[in-house]
Amino acid sequence: MFTSIKAKIIIFHITVLFSILSALGIFLYLSLDRIVYDAIDSSLLSKAKTLTTLINTDVEDETEFKRSDEVRWEYSSPKSTSYFQIRRIDGFTLEKSPSLKGSELPYSANEERTDFKTIRVNGALARLVDFHAPAEITYAAKNGDQGVVIQCAEDIGNQVDLLQRYRLVLSLSILSIMIISALGGLMISKKALAPVKDISGIIDKISESNLSERINLEYVPKELRILASSFNHTFDRLERAFSRQRQFAADASHELRTPLSVILSQSEVTLRRDRTAGEYREALAAVGRAARMMSDTVRKLLTLARLGADKVDLQIEHIRLVEIIRESVKLLTPLADRNGISITVSADAHAVVRGDRAALLELFGNLIDNAITYNIPRGNVDISAEEENGIIVATIRDTGIGISGENLDKVFDRFYRVDKSRSKERDGAGLGLSICNEIAKLHGGKIEIASTLGTGTTVSVFLKEGRSGMER
Amino acid sequence: MRVLIVEDEKSLADILKKGLEEEGYAVDVAYDGEDGLFMAENEPSDIVILDIMLPVIDGITILKSMRKAGVKTPVLMLTARDAVTDKVAGLDSGADDYLTKPFSFEELLARMRALLRRNTEVNSSVIVIGDLAIDTAAHEVTRGGKAVVLSAREYTLLEYMAMNRNTVLSRTSLTEHLYDRDFDLDSNVIDVFINRIRNKIDRRHGTKLIHTVRGAGYMLKG
Repeated sequence: MFTSIKAKIIIFHITVLFSILSALGIFLYLSLDRIVYDAIDSSLLSKAKTLTTLINTDVEDETEFKRSDEVRWEYSSPKSTSYFQIRRIDGFTLEKSPSLKGSELPYSANEERTDFKTIRVNGALARLVDFHAPAEITYAAKNGDQGVVIQCAEDIGNQVDLLQRYRLVLSLSILSIMIISALGGLMISKKALAPVKDISGIIDKISESNLSERINLEYVPKELRILASSFNHTFDRLERAFSRQRQFAADASHELRTPLSVILSQSEVTLRRDRTAGEYREALAAVGRAARMMSDTVRKLLTLARLGADKVDLQIEHIRLVEIIRESVKLLTPLADRNGISITVSADAHAVVRGDRAALLELFGNLIDNAITYNIPRGNVDISAEEENGIIVATIRDTGIGISGENLDKVFDRFYRVDKSRSKERDGAGLGLSICNEIAKLHGGKIEIASTLGTGTTVSVFLKEGRSGMER
Repeated sequence: MRVLIVEDEKSLADILKKGLEEEGYAVDVAYDGEDGLFMAENEPSDIVILDIMLPVIDGITILKSMRKAGVKTPVLMLTARDAVTDKVAGLDSGADDYLTKPFSFEELLARMRALLRRNTEVNSSVIVIGDLAIDTAAHEVTRGGKAVVLSAREYTLLEYMAMNRNTVLSRTSLTEHLYDRDFDLDSNVIDVFINRIRNKIDRRHGTKLIHTVRGAGYMLKG
């Protein structure tokens, strides 16, 4: 029902406050009530005791009351609100104050103890004490076996009024505190929830076009930082995914447009007039080259897109690295023979890695392909693999053209070609090393490249040793 | 009409050269930005087809440098990206038009024709001088309603003269605009072609359209 945090906070806040204030109010009221009645009662009791001393004990057969002026003034004036009535224990009235006029103080017999109660005298509220006179007075009054009860009463209208006013003041105070604090609570919760509004404002602004915007944690209250930072993490992931998609689309479109232009222009220009068989062959060959370049680019782009996805389906197994290297070399031997390159492999047969066979084949295939392609005629490619402190290091060293320092930083960038005019004649799209790098990263490893222009390039692949857990 | 193609994708540049030459254009090709910039600033091209993504010097830099050097040759930019910002950057740097790869060869031709017309008084694909009409799209020429059959070279020369009508064109200038840089400029081939065109369009007509300006060159005037 109350899905609003604000409403929940306020309702909870008011309920708690109401309970506390009510308890406090009731306690305060009861305390004052107690104090007031205790004061009245003790004053009544002392009056009753004073009256007791006035009972004349000298007169025989009859109880006689000595009325001092003081007593007379207090109990006899017509406006007096103090009353007394002296009774035998059976209720027979021995004496009563003139202030009572016609009425009597209510009496119930046979109560052997001092008793206080609130009564009405002539319509006004009064407090009454029934005081049982001590035995010696009773005897002295020659009252036989009958005891004497001194009833003393006093009007308590003022005190009751006071208590009522006090109750009213308390209730009004509680009510106004409740209202003020409800308003305060509303303001506090508004203020407390303002950052939430701010955050959602920022989140609203973050869209596909400006996914790089983040919630600045410095301005977010501590309590909301967890929320804000998990939003930020989500946006980080979204942004990465989006920019990967965008990059992929841009790369793909860029890399595919040029060969497409070749295909279109070739076919259009060729078809504009009748040509010789040789010209048609030439045009078809050019179209074929462009199409092969496109298909290679598409294959590599898809590989990269697959590798770049958050979850890659890798078939992890224990693999002897030398097997991967031998297989890659075997596949590339025709290329090496064409270019007159000799390949030597000196791999530690016990070097075992954990990884995906197909991915590692792609990794080493690409690296060895590069080492052959960018080599000098009759050059060498030396491949070694060994274990060093739990890391398998595979090194592919060529005697090729080398890469300059400025280019070395960029070789892992997608579509980066060191020598554009040269590599375009091959079908390289500049994706090979990006793919290698992604594969190495997926295996928790890395690739390092060192190169000297004109002397050769050394590519080192670092992979985690995977022997642990494998039967030797 | 002389065209400079600056395009690093060799197979694309070569097929464009072939197609444009068959259309009667004289074509020079630069495969990188450095050569492209040099040729754009030093060869008397009538139009430059400029790729944006180039090795060594990119197309935008070439454009800016060309315009700064006062070269007003129309530039048709080729871009492999269809992002608006790229096109805006190209046009703002001084390109006259752009084509997004992949493009149709026919469209390239049409846009080139439009750009070549821009600096002349001609504003349709048919140039009319007196009773001579030259359809630059179809490469068809009529004089007094009768079709005139011209060879590709003859047509190209006539079209160039028609584009620059009422202007005296020197032999050197005509050679420069009708042949690519590999052609030997000393040849008197222009005189030969002028004579052939005269035979085809001016003979049997009272009004002569092609005028020889002694010591200066030729002029097409209605």
